[in-house]
Amino acid sequence: MSPKLEPKKEQTAPTIEPSLATTRQAGVKTPSTILERLLFILSRYREASIAAVAVALVVYFQIGSHGQFIETQFLGVVFRDTGRFGLIAVAEAMLMITAEIDLSVGSTFALAPYTMGLLSVTWGVPLAVGALVGVALCVLVGVVNGVITVRFRVPSLITTVGTLFFVQGIVVSIYNSQPIMTPVEEPFNEFFGESLYNPRADALFSWHSLSAFSPVLWAILVVAVMSVVLNRTTFGLHTIATGSNPIGAREIGVRTDRIKVYNFMIAGGLAGFAGIINTLQFSSADPAAGAGFLNLEAIAAAVIGGTSLLGGSGTAVGALIGAFVVATLNNGLVMIGAQATVSDIFLGAGILAAMMLNVQVDRLRTRRRL
Amino acid sequence: MNSQDIAPLGPDAPVILEMRHISKSFGAVTALVDASIRLHRGEVLALVGDNGAGKSTLIKILSGFHQPDRGSIILNGKEAHFASPRDARANGIETVYQDLALIGDLSIFHNMFLGREYHKRMLGLNLLDNAKMRDLAVEYLKTMEISIPSVNSTVDLLSGGQRQCVAVARSIYSSPTILVLDEPLAALGVREGGQVLGLIQNLRRQRSVSIILIVHNYNQVFEVCDRINFLHSGGIVLDASTTETSEEELIHIVKSGLGGQAIPDAAAEVGAGPA
Repeated sequence: MSPKLEPKKEQTAPTIEPSLATTRQAGVKTPSTILERLLFILSRYREASIAAVAVALVVYFQIGSHGQFIETQFLGVVFRDTGRFGLIAVAEAMLMITAEIDLSVGSTFALAPYTMGLLSVTWGVPLAVGALVGVALCVLVGVVNGVITVRFRVPSLITTVGTLFFVQGIVVSIYNSQPIMTPVEEPFNEFFGESLYNPRADALFSWHSLSAFSPVLWAILVVAVMSVVLNRTTFGLHTIATGSNPIGAREIGVRTDRIKVYNFMIAGGLAGFAGIINTLQFSSADPAAGAGFLNLEAIAAAVIGGTSLLGGSGTAVGALIGAFVVATLNNGLVMIGAQATVSDIFLGAGILAAMMLNVQVDRLRTRRRL
Repeated sequence: MNSQDIAPLGPDAPVILEMRHISKSFGAVTALVDASIRLHRGEVLALVGDNGAGKSTLIKILSGFHQPDRGSIILNGKEAHFASPRDARANGIETVYQDLALIGDLSIFHNMFLGREYHKRMLGLNLLDNAKMRDLAVEYLKTMEISIPSVNSTVDLLSGGQRQCVAVARSIYSSPTILVLDEPLAALGVREGGQVLGLIQNLRRQRSVSIILIVHNYNQVFEVCDRINFLHSGGIVLDASTTETSEEELIHIVKSGLGGQAIPDAAAEVGAGPA
């Protein structure tokens, strides 16, 4: 808009131009300037743009590390972290689409494997059974999060901070905050990735590398399932509707409260699952495994992947690519010799940039109809 | 928007709905006092009144949101009680509220079928049948002569008039017997309002659904309705047929008053309005 004031037009009798009426019907203008076209492409293929960022990061670190990034175990570490963040980020994206958020994933991430370890060392319960019990407990935490949020109308930001501390407190105090060594039970451990992939020693197509990549493969599987759920099921449709227009959705018959509770349960379950995978890697259940910034990193991954905090939009694929970007930044900067703490600066800047871009793209999208 | 080609409603059109002697108070506030309306099959009735006249309360009683303190609702000759909006909907009464209840982030066809999605089984899973919903939406919007860019575009890309039309189309899709439109012209420009009025006129021509229009200003809807009821201070003060009364006569009645009693809201509007 030009700051110069337009000279006031002469008042004429209001006539409706038929040509205007027909162009109005089109609703969507075709992009004209280069900037508009770029933003148009971004709004259409948001995953593609973040994928381009991910590829650029890999290239940058590959060059910066003198060819070490792809050819050493580092890649295995990045993929393992991608799987871990990705599982939680997808669940976080689903919740954020309903305009809610879950910070308690930081402690459910520790609750499930700790339960599994505890059952194993005290009663000799097989890990697979213990894992199921642990994940079920995390789903229960999701129910608590959901019910407190929708029934007592507590903002989920507060609800889940409460359960974050509450669950963390229980996990830490239950066994004198001792880490629990878990036994190795094959093939359970192999299924969920007990070893790292080493490009120099391992064949790419082998059982060992399949096992090494299993965390990220599980994440890809979950993302595929969640993409179908979000785009091709009534539940997904109602999830988007719940976040996009809560009142309208309720008026039309969407059970918005139930949809939110289900998504909290998914978040709890997936965070627990990610925790199990993480523990099997080291055969040690740490009661403080999810302390630190895990929950915020998962949210960052979802946001970088194009999920709006305001609800209504976001994708599972975007969340996974976002998780890869976060994992690459975390590990890659260390790889090229930066201090570990420096990666937070880049991550922070990345979140801010992604969020500003998201808001701008949305604004452009809605303004274009005028 | 020419009313010449629309046959006036026959005098023998059966009464489909009657709200008799409805009274409703909210604590100390009296919203409705002995208000009665009737609606014939295929008729378009405009309910005109200022803010606080009681028109929203009357409509919310009809759509099951409120229960009347006194009075009765007669639907198709039988007394009906609506305990909830779901009840009213089950009895064929659809209401399009001012907020339209459209989901901005979903496509038009998903909005059309939200809450009554079509499914198909694939690999043992119950998945959305998007192709079917898309085709049905295209076909349906075409028969209703609603022009939109594409059923795939999300609702937040539509103009206000287009949104109103999509919301009305969605409500009509379940073939209700009575359609209530709450302030369909509010917040719309002249051209967009024209789009909505055109749609109402189309529905009126078919005479298959009875419509209650809630509006502020009767000038806007004179052309598309069969009867106008003026609501003031919780009661109906004038019931005028648009086929028997011309717009000029109506202005005269409103200005000079009815039986010595002026119609304050309507008179004020005539004074301020472009007519």
